[in-house]
Amino acid sequence: MPPPVAPSPAPAPTASARRGPYAELVAELNHDRTSLAEVHHDATVPFGPSMRVERFVLGNGLKVLLLEDHVAPVVCLQTWFGVGSRHEKPGKTGIAHLFEHLMFGETEDTAHGAFDRLLEEAGAETNAATFLDWTYYHMNLPKDALGLAMKLESGRIARLVLRDPQVKSEKEVVSNERRQRVDDDVDGSVSELLYKEAFQKHGYGWPTIGWMSDIEGFTTEDCLDFYKTYYAPNNATLVIVGDVEAREALRLVQDCYGGLTPSTMPVEDVQPEPPQTAERRSSVDKPTPTHKVAIGYKGPALGDFDHAPFVLLNEILFGGRSSRVHRAMVQQQEIASEVRGWVGAFRDPALYDIFLCARGERTGEDLLAALDPLLAAVRRDPVTPGELERAKARLELGSLQGLESASGKAEQLGFYETVLGDPSALFDKLGAYRRATAGDLLRVARRYLVDSARTIIEVHPDGSDALDDDGEEEEEEAAA
Amino acid sequence: MTVVQQIPQPAPVFIEPSDALPIVSVAVCFRSGSAHDPDGKDGLARIVARMLRRGAHGYGSERIEESIDALGAEFAADVGVSSSTAHFEVIRRTLDPMVDLVATLLARPSFDEQELGRLLREAEAELIEARDNDRGLASRAFRRTLFEGHPYGRRTSGKIATLRGLGPADVRAFYERHYTRANAMVIVSGDVTEAEGGAVAERLLAGLPAGERIADPVPPPARRPGRHLVFVDKPDRTQTQMVIGGLGTDAHDPDHTALLVANTAFGGTFTSRLMQEIRAKRGWSYGASSRVGFDRQRDAFTMWTAPKATDAAACLALELELFHTFRDAGVTAAELEFVQRYLVRSHAFDIDTARKRVHQKLEAELYALPPGYHERYVPDIEAVTLAAANASVQARLSEDDLVIGVVGTHAEIGEQIAKAIPDLASVTVAPFDVE
Repeated sequence: MPPPVAPSPAPAPTASARRGPYAELVAELNHDRTSLAEVHHDATVPFGPSMRVERFVLGNGLKVLLLEDHVAPVVCLQTWFGVGSRHEKPGKTGIAHLFEHLMFGETEDTAHGAFDRLLEEAGAETNAATFLDWTYYHMNLPKDALGLAMKLESGRIARLVLRDPQVKSEKEVVSNERRQRVDDDVDGSVSELLYKEAFQKHGYGWPTIGWMSDIEGFTTEDCLDFYKTYYAPNNATLVIVGDVEAREALRLVQDCYGGLTPSTMPVEDVQPEPPQTAERRSSVDKPTPTHKVAIGYKGPALGDFDHAPFVLLNEILFGGRSSRVHRAMVQQQEIASEVRGWVGAFRDPALYDIFLCARGERTGEDLLAALDPLLAAVRRDPVTPGELERAKARLELGSLQGLESASGKAEQLGFYETVLGDPSALFDKLGAYRRATAGDLLRVARRYLVDSARTIIEVHPDGSDALDDDGEEEEEEAAA
Repeated sequence: MTVVQQIPQPAPVFIEPSDALPIVSVAVCFRSGSAHDPDGKDGLARIVARMLRRGAHGYGSERIEESIDALGAEFAADVGVSSSTAHFEVIRRTLDPMVDLVATLLARPSFDEQELGRLLREAEAELIEARDNDRGLASRAFRRTLFEGHPYGRRTSGKIATLRGLGPADVRAFYERHYTRANAMVIVSGDVTEAEGGAVAERLLAGLPAGERIADPVPPPARRPGRHLVFVDKPDRTQTQMVIGGLGTDAHDPDHTALLVANTAFGGTFTSRLMQEIRAKRGWSYGASSRVGFDRQRDAFTMWTAPKATDAAACLALELELFHTFRDAGVTAAELEFVQRYLVRSHAFDIDTARKRVHQKLEAELYALPPGYHERYVPDIEAVTLAAANASVQARLSEDDLVIGVVGTHAEIGEQIAKAIPDLASVTVAPFDVE
């Protein structure tokens, strides 16, 4: 176990901050505040052509991203923690996600159930999510509920109370979530198996929801340890987007979060995945009507220079009905009912994962035989200028669509800040898409679409779906 | 502020300008959906809508797809029970050529026979794949049982047998009757002025014939007497998707809002009774909720849970008990006050984007909602009294007439599930590949 390190000190106010547009405000806000509660303006970050995000840091290390957006009387408050399932250990998988559930429970200030009740009564929508690199908590609020929300949010970060009955009950809930998303779901179970086979060392190999035996084995003590380790202001970013004024929002942040003390974050005991040198194959039988195949190629990290051209290449292969794979396998050869590809968006190198669903009696081998020449073609020849321009246009629209609401903007800011340390990286990505050339796509195709570094999971129907000639079976009815 | 325009065509047009982002959303909605599928032609309306992008006025399917992508646009054609909608979203700078393209798709589809054959085979494969979706299987079993013989019991995407019976003449006939100006509505939201939005609507409708507004063929659904269990049998289920319900509300009911409010207390929020009793106290299901939906006619009231297979019978019994208490004693004054505050204060999220605001206008027009339905939402919610809320539950929801749709492995839990439901009138065991 690597030694823990002391938390990074909060950045001192810079000369530009002292002279900048927030200098007076910051001085006013910091009057009579403790050092932990002092707020410093860290940077003004352009967010696209017309928006500006202000980044502040509290003395206790809490980062605050503020984007004023006055189009509707609502505010989105998100809290992103730099902890996800990658930080877990074998035997304790799923604790980041279980803990996300437990955060909606009792605190020293509020009884069990009061968190949701108070926020719902204020008209708020709340949710949370956990993934490989992060966990975040989300609140959509009528603008006048921001103070209540911050009070409750900061309260559960500092003063959560965990008791055995609640932990036991929440483990049941999570077990049921797992049954729904994985055990009884073909896509979910295949995706889980793909990552398990593809990653033999790195924490990306175990599922965020956790193995069932691990979920069942968690104790209240495990959960408390996790809480004490990772839920601290210096491991969090607060994202505030909506109809607020900086003065009011920052004063609330200081009031609610300024008393939190930073923790010593452990150095992540990350295990880089060794290079994969041979294709890996597995198969499973499922009660599903058709054959399926999932393929994972080792891909670049989100922050890698290759990531943007690889996303463009994926658009050309799988993006919509004019893409190469859809056109060939769904429309022309009629051997697949569904095809999709996704370039993982994670801090460390992850997977380019592909999912193909066969039609009729076609097998996984048939699908691979049709896919491989299409992948060989993008390794061999540059994509056409028309294809590249269409892929860029599709991605531009997709990026804009994600910014329609306050919560959409908050999610982009929080995600990129937490994974890449840059809240406006979405727009850097758009710039990278615009600059990418056919040569860039050829390079990433040759670098990553390597058969010896791929993992294949085939799904075989177990024979329980017996379709007769007219496509229908009969219901049996009996009087009760 | 939504602008309502009167343009020469007899089609309502709603425009919601917003310069928040440089994108424009447009939808052309026809007042005809799967309820208008002729007998034995289930799925026709959806096939017609999906054919729009597969050939028009000399453009082949590939060229259409490439043009949409090159313009930085998305195009989709959706069909519901009461509507067929072509909608697109586009980057502002390429709005004009996208409008030209969609106007051509709407007015001059080629309905090529080979393309139709290809689409029908694709749609059939999608129906088979849908058998992987347990929640979808539960919903289908519930609706085809509750609305047996009624258009609301039909599957919008059709059945394999009915898709195999569709031909070019069916597609052309449906299109010519339903895709007309008199049967259309248009919504435009996003980075346009009011005048630009009106011009977009005019151009989209210009090539369509005047036609006539098509009447809603759907009669009010009849209550199905008794308690009916439809068990969808699927191997290896560790979890049981369950839906319980019956007929619910009609937007024109005098107690419509009262029932919406009462249902919110019962199963409409994270702190509602269903969620508290089933998830928070017992951990039996990841989700537990109830809903009262509506279309042009009365639609279903439903309760949803997904317990572990071994908890399914107990969970079902508890839901029936909670439902009995809900009908018998109603909600409390404290619960009513709580959900009224929740519904009024969270209303901001129903109207926080231009797209949501303009869709409310479309919904009001499509479903012929009572005048001011959305505009009076807040005062109507606030006006609901405890007596009115509880009377609506008694009047509209039935304990005697219930359909219970379950997806599980029958050999393992079928008997316990049936035993958990007192006074069952019928049990139907359906293979999961019945549709």
